[in-house]
Amino acid sequence: MTGSPNVSRRMLLGTALSAGAASMWATPTSLQAQSGGAVNFTAWSAAVDQVKSHISAFENASKLKVNYENFPWAQYRTSVVTRLVGNAPMDVLWISDAWLPEFAEAQWLANIDDIPELMKYNADAAPYCTQSMTYKGKQYGLSYYGDHMSFVYNTDILQRAGIDKPPATWDEVVRASLKIKQAGTVEYPLLLALGIDTWLVEFMSAMVFSNGGRFVDPQGAPLMAEPGRGAIETAAWIRDAIHTHKIVSPGAVETPEINSLKAFGAGQHAFYVSPTYRLRALNDPSQAAAAGKIRPALMPRGPKATASATCGWIRFYGMTPSAKANAARRANAAKFMEFFGGKDDSGTYRFQKLLVTDLGLPFCTMPLAADPDVKAFWDKWAGGGDVIAQQASSALKKDVIAPWFGEWNESASPAWQSVFLNKATPEAAMRAMATKWNELRKG
Amino acid sequence: MSTVSVSALDRLGRRFGYDERSAAVLIFPVFIVLLAVAIFPIVYSFYTSLFDINLTRPWRRPFVGFDNYLRIFADPNFWVAVQRTTVYTVVTVSVTTVLAVAVALLLNEAFPGRRLLAALVLLPWATPSIVNGLMWKWIYNPGYGLLNGLLVQIGLLDRYKVWLGDPDLTIFMIANAAVWKQMPLAAILILVTMKAIPEDLYKAAKVDGANVFRRFWHVTLPALKPGLMLVLVYETMISIRHFDLFLIMTQGGPGDASYTLSWQIFVETFRNLKFGIGAALSYILALATFGLSYVFIRALGSKL
Repeated sequence: MTGSPNVSRRMLLGTALSAGAASMWATPTSLQAQSGGAVNFTAWSAAVDQVKSHISAFENASKLKVNYENFPWAQYRTSVVTRLVGNAPMDVLWISDAWLPEFAEAQWLANIDDIPELMKYNADAAPYCTQSMTYKGKQYGLSYYGDHMSFVYNTDILQRAGIDKPPATWDEVVRASLKIKQAGTVEYPLLLALGIDTWLVEFMSAMVFSNGGRFVDPQGAPLMAEPGRGAIETAAWIRDAIHTHKIVSPGAVETPEINSLKAFGAGQHAFYVSPTYRLRALNDPSQAAAAGKIRPALMPRGPKATASATCGWIRFYGMTPSAKANAARRANAAKFMEFFGGKDDSGTYRFQKLLVTDLGLPFCTMPLAADPDVKAFWDKWAGGGDVIAQQASSALKKDVIAPWFGEWNESASPAWQSVFLNKATPEAAMRAMATKWNELRKG
Repeated sequence: MSTVSVSALDRLGRRFGYDERSAAVLIFPVFIVLLAVAIFPIVYSFYTSLFDINLTRPWRRPFVGFDNYLRIFADPNFWVAVQRTTVYTVVTVSVTTVLAVAVALLLNEAFPGRRLLAALVLLPWATPSIVNGLMWKWIYNPGYGLLNGLLVQIGLLDRYKVWLGDPDLTIFMIANAAVWKQMPLAAILILVTMKAIPEDLYKAAKVDGANVFRRFWHVTLPALKPGLMLVLVYETMISIRHFDLFLIMTQGGPGDASYTLSWQIFVETFRNLKFGIGAALSYILALATFGLSYVFIRALGSKL
C-alpha cells in the first residue's frame, strides 16, 4: 500500500508522456491538411466520377493534392455545419443557394469580391446565378451548376388524346388533362411531387412564380398570405386539381421527387414539373420506358402572369474564411475553384461542359449554350435546347432564401400539404406560413 | 494529504472485506465506461437543454435556464406531437399485447409443426427496422402496392387507396408496420411466462367445471402478469420513442399527420440544428417514458 502512490505517479507520468508523444505523432496529419500543400474539398455525393477525374486533372496541372470527401445530399448540410463548427479542415465546399444567408451570417463562407481571377467569370454568368451567390452585396462563390424547374410533357400521350401542342396556361393544363382523362389514356395526367422533400419549395416556387406571384417582397416582408399575390391562388389550384378535377393523384402528397421521376419515366403521366437536369434520364431508354417522348415546354402561365416564369436555383463553390485567411491556402483554393468553375487554358468551361454532356446538368455560364457539343446534347436528349434556354432566361431566384429559410421551410411543407389534403384552406395555410416567417424574421 | 488518504483507505479497508474490495476493483472499469457513455451524456444533454444553442448561430450561446422547456410547452406543434405520439403508442402497445397473447396461446399448444411455426413467427422481429419500413411502404404504395392489389382483387376496395397519404389513416398504417415487427418478441416473452404456469392449476379449474374462457380469465391471465408487465413496459418504451418508421415512411407527413415527439426532436436537432430545444424535448420524452414505465410497474408490480 505504501509503495502504491509512487507507482501511480510513475504510471501517471508514463501515461502523460505517451499521450504527448501520440499527439505529437498525430499533429502532422492535421497540420498538413490545414497547410498550403493541399486543397480540402467537401461536396455532396453527386457527379462523383466526373469530380474525381477532374480532381486528377487538377492535381496533375497544379501539383497540389486534393483531399476530397463527399456526403449524401440528405445529410450534407448537417454534416458540413458540424464540421465547420468543429473547425475541421475545409477549404472549398459545394453550397446550395438556399444556405447562403445562413452560412454567410455564421461566417462560414468568405466573400470572393477581392479575388479578381474568380470575379471575372461574372461577365459570362446568367444574372440569376450571380444574384443567387450574392448576399448583402457580397459574392460568395463561383457556380457549380444552375438549373430551373421545367414543365415537361409526354408527346405520345398528347398525340393519342388529339392534342397537338403543350398547354401554355394552367387553365389549358386542366382542359388538356381532362381531355386525356376522358380519352382513358391515363388516370392522372398531371404529375406533381408534393411529398415532404427538399424539392417541394422549388416546385411550389415555380408554380407561384408562373402565376405571376411572389412569397415575399424585395424588403423581405411576406406576401404569401395576401390574396392576389400568387401563393393562395397556386395552393387553391393544386387542391382543385387533386380533389375537383382529379387530374393529380391524391398520392402526390406522399410522392418525393425521385419517385415521381420514375413514374413519369414509366409513361404513366402526360405532364410533369421537373428539374431540367432530369431530362437526360427521362429520355434515356435504359432508365425510362417513355424515353424519346419527353419534351420540355415553357412553364404554363397563371391568369395574372405576363411571362412563363419559373424557379431557378444554383449550387456553387464556396471558400471558407480559414482558407481565405492564409495566403497559400487562399491561392490554392482560388486555383481549384477556377479550375472547376472557370475556363481552362483553351478558354472552355471544361468541367461545366463535362457536367452537361455527361449528366445533362445545366449551367450558369451562358457561352456554353452555343457550344456545338452542348447543342448536340440537347438535340439528342431534349429535342433541342431553345426552350430550355428561353425558360432559363425567365428563371427567378427563390425569394424565400433567408438566414431562417431552413426552419421556415420545415413548417411550410406541412402547411402546403394541409391544403393539398383539403384539411386547411389556402388562406389559413398561407397565414400560418406568413406568421412563422414574421416570427423568424424578428429573430 | 498523503497521510489522510492512507488513513481513509485504511478505514475503508477495515469497513469493507476482501470480497467487497475485489468486487469494487473489478466493477470500477465498467463504472468508468458507464460514466463516459451513459451518465456523462445524460448530464451533459440536460446542461445543453438550458442553453439556446443553434449551430447556425455559433457566435451566441446564451444560458436561458428553463426557457427552452417553457417555449416547448407553448408551441402548438409540441401538443400535436404529444397527441400523435399518444395515439401511436396506445394503438401499437395494445394491439401488440393482445396479438402476442393470442400467438403465445397458440404456440403453447402441442401440435405438429409448432416449432417451425414458432421460428416463422420470430422472423419479422429479426427483420431490420429500415427494411421493415421500406417493405411496408411498398405494400402501402398507392400505385402498385400489395395491399391495394389484394383488397381490390377480393372486392373490398373498388379502387386503389392512398394509405400513407390519408392523414386520418397514416398513424394507424405506421402502427400496423410496428406491430408486425414488435409482436413476435412480445409473444415469446409471454410464452415463456405461460410455460411456467403449473399444469395443476388448469386441472383443478377443470375439476371445478371452468370452461376454456374461464380457465384463461382466472388462471392464465393472472399468471401472465409478470410477462405482461415486461411486455407493456418494453413496448411502451419502444413505441413512445419510435422514429425509424416515421423517417422512412412519411417524414412526419402528410401535413402533420405523423408528427410525433421523436420526429419533432429530429427536426429541431438535426434539421433546425437547435440543440438546446432538441435536448429539452429529449428530456421531456425521457421523463414521459420513465413516468409511464413507473405507472405500469406500480399497477402490476404489486401483484407479482
